[in-house]
Amino acid sequence: MSGLGKTRAFMSKTTRREFLKIGLAAAGGALAASGMEIPLFSGSNSSMQTQLNNANTQVINLQNQLKTVTGFLTLSVNEQALLEPIVETIIPSDSTGPGAKEAGVIYFIDRQLAGDYGQSANMFMEGPFIPPKVPSTANLSVAPSPSWVALPSPVGGGGNATAIAYPGGTASPRVGAGINYQYPLNLRAFWKAGLEAVQNYARSSTYGAPFQQLSGDKQLALLADLWAGKPATFADNHGTIIGPVDFAYELSFMTWAGFTMDPLYGGNQNMVGWQYMGFNGVNLGNAYGEGLSQKDLMVATTPTRLKPASLAQYQQAAAGGA
Amino acid sequence: MSSVIMEPRKNLVCLGAGFMSGLVAAEVARDSHNYSVVAITKGPWWDYVSDFSTTKYDEWGVGLGRKYDSPLPVQSTTIRNSPTQFALPVRRYTMPIQYHALGHGVGGAAQHYGGTMGRQGPWGYKQQSLSDAAYPGKLAQIQPNNDLQDWPLDYAGYEPYYHKWELVYGLCGTNNGSPTDTSSDMNYPWMDPSYGSKYPMPPHPLTPVATQFRDACLATSPPQGAKFTSYHPFPHVSSLASQPYTNVPYGVPVNPCVYDGYCGGNCNYACETGAKANAAYRTIPAAMATGNFKLVTNAYIFRLVWDATSHTVTEAHYYDAQGNVHIQQGDVFFNGMWGYNMIRIMLLSGVGVPYQYNSGLGTGTGSVGRGLTNGYAPYTGTAASGTLNIGANSYSAGNASGGSVDIYDLMDDNFDHTNLNFIGGAQIGMGGYAGGGPGNITLAGNVSPSNTGVGGTFKAKQKDKYLPTTTNVGATPFAPDIPTYDHYVDLDPHYTDIYGDPLSRLTYDWTANMYNGATYLATIVAQILTKMGASNVKVGATPAQVHNDWWGHHLRGGCRIGKDPTSSVFNSWNQHWLSGAPGPNIGSNYFAAGEITNTAGDTVPSGTHVAGPQSWRAAEGIRQYLQTPGLLTP
Repeated sequence: MSGLGKTRAFMSKTTRREFLKIGLAAAGGALAASGMEIPLFSGSNSSMQTQLNNANTQVINLQNQLKTVTGFLTLSVNEQALLEPIVETIIPSDSTGPGAKEAGVIYFIDRQLAGDYGQSANMFMEGPFIPPKVPSTANLSVAPSPSWVALPSPVGGGGNATAIAYPGGTASPRVGAGINYQYPLNLRAFWKAGLEAVQNYARSSTYGAPFQQLSGDKQLALLADLWAGKPATFADNHGTIIGPVDFAYELSFMTWAGFTMDPLYGGNQNMVGWQYMGFNGVNLGNAYGEGLSQKDLMVATTPTRLKPASLAQYQQAAAGGA
Repeated sequence: MSSVIMEPRKNLVCLGAGFMSGLVAAEVARDSHNYSVVAITKGPWWDYVSDFSTTKYDEWGVGLGRKYDSPLPVQSTTIRNSPTQFALPVRRYTMPIQYHALGHGVGGAAQHYGGTMGRQGPWGYKQQSLSDAAYPGKLAQIQPNNDLQDWPLDYAGYEPYYHKWELVYGLCGTNNGSPTDTSSDMNYPWMDPSYGSKYPMPPHPLTPVATQFRDACLATSPPQGAKFTSYHPFPHVSSLASQPYTNVPYGVPVNPCVYDGYCGGNCNYACETGAKANAAYRTIPAAMATGNFKLVTNAYIFRLVWDATSHTVTEAHYYDAQGNVHIQQGDVFFNGMWGYNMIRIMLLSGVGVPYQYNSGLGTGTGSVGRGLTNGYAPYTGTAASGTLNIGANSYSAGNASGGSVDIYDLMDDNFDHTNLNFIGGAQIGMGGYAGGGPGNITLAGNVSPSNTGVGGTFKAKQKDKYLPTTTNVGATPFAPDIPTYDHYVDLDPHYTDIYGDPLSRLTYDWTANMYNGATYLATIVAQILTKMGASNVKVGATPAQVHNDWWGHHLRGGCRIGKDPTSSVFNSWNQHWLSGAPGPNIGSNYFAAGEITNTAGDTVPSGTHVAGPQSWRAAEGIRQYLQTPGLLTP
């Protein structure tokens, strides 16, 4: 199981290295003489105290992170290995600030797919399942539901009890786009198929290597291909065909959701997504004693940056704790 | 083992427990005759303190997961654009369109709406006759297959009901048209001051963009052909309480808005203070206080029993949470279910004559399901836009529609349409501050093939997105939707709810009048934007007509009140016409009111406020009927 080893190595590589760095820094100056590289101390303009404070904060942040999420409930090792570079391509960690990696987007997605979201618990999942875009040459005929036909007169007056022909090619594009999800798969199954299909496309002659091994440019190009409706046949390992645009929607949507939804859901860890975007979460103006009025904030003409607060913080404060 | 349970007979049975049923239930229960009333809703009772106050600030759960709303696995609907298409079911509330969910439980969809309110002016009640008189042939030219009808009453007929409705549900605003005088509460020109039509609460504080819009309107010359000499800006009329209030005449106390911003943003958020007006916190408490009222929750109504001899509804049948079937008999039945569910239960039960479209003729017969329109069209037409040099806190602060300023001057027949290819116009408002909404999901939900959300370039644009130093302003001012013969609601032949009954099927697309209006009005709005000092003022290129993929939440029509029993479902008392049923018209015991009993209109997106006076009139009609059953005289 080389895949397992690889993923585990990835997991521990980042966290252990960062923990060591920060832990050593927090332990004080004695270690500086050990000869280990401690980048936190490299800034020449900061005082030692400031650096120690920063280090302490980072230790606390890291501990919080470790407390919340590091494991997977549903994503397989292969899916983890593939999805990590995908979400990090969608929201890269770069000079503008942290990205999907620091936000723990993959944990958000894992928890969603393991729960109600993956089970399509709040979706209407009755058949028949009709692809929203019928090829232009096809004419589709679907028989009416027997239970409907059996309803007593005059119930049936509002409908048409004969089979309805769907004339291929005349459906508006927006009808297809708008009520897009018409697959007889719950979302967990849809993601399994979609991730396999992405990997199959990466390995095809167009790109020629697993997604993880492609260059950053190629990874971006591949995701752009999906949005452009390519490849023509987008299938999982067992021939299940889905629409590349449909899966591209899912990838972008869930990645951004993992970056911006409340940390309670496993993503947006330490509220890095909110800090990046200047969003206040559930800081309604006084979470840290700022004493600001929502009404005043509403009519302000210069923006006021509020330190974000999470739903859990809000609830603890409401319960008299915190 | 489930069983059949006969419930004690009531004088009035209300189907649903939202805006309309709540008002009717309260009015009838408070009648001096001590009428017994029951309201039956498919969802739970929501207590705003215990149910919302610590869990509503959850965009993923509320905005996306719709955790307080009608569960799709129980019931959905199907939509298509034309009668020749196969209608597909709405399978989830999001992705890539944020569908607007039906409400679930007491208060209904108004638990999570935006609170936009505003009266419909006199023109809206007589669109068809006024347009034909002023511009002969124009309607047929714009929309050859139009099925537009006048309302059975004119504005003056509804004005007293508007006033009562506004006091009960608690509206805030001032319509005096003056930028400085907020004391007089003279109302918009058509609002008769003799009724004392004063909103019970002052407007929400105006945002800087709103005041700039107001000042610009006052400094801008109206367009050529305008029937007014200057614009009349006024603060947005909202049903979110702007101060502590005790509603009149019921005496139900109301908390004010706290401007937390988890409010608008696709109208997702329930209110944790009860400031957002809905039946649960305004009318149902008044009904309960009488001792004559019973509330039945978590009860799914699946049939009405129609007696063809007496022309009455005799029973409502519903499932309870254990799967038992309950039979509720009553003297009068009032249908206050949301939107197409009102139509669906009638079609499932054989109440009224179902509308049937004849594709050969391009017209149709019958009335139940006929004349579906949409009061909201986010993708239609041409938008005017610009950028103001005003910063803002674009995160969660503010309320759904509060803080904005509106003008009504560019709607109705307030300007000459002789050389224009549309009728009516648009309410234009700016400066509404919903807060971010929180709005993250606006970003996540707006990813598209042209805006994929992928990569560092896109990411960089999101940096400090909620702390903007400039503000984008604009409007998509589409003209009203016109009912046509090929837009309707019927039962879907393929898809069913969890109990095996057919779903409703919407056949609908946006109409030419909406597009044509937008193309013209956007240029007028652009003049105001320029006067506001906006830079980069643009009128977007007229798009090719896109098609509706919107699971309409602002439906109008489909189950209209009217003057003609063959083409409308209800008379001016919102009493069932019998819709051409055989035998003498002896007057039914079946009443209904809601957005879809409206015909097309021009004022507010939802039509809730326009439906409200109908529910009050229905309540009066029901009280008359309970004394003297029969056809109420118009």
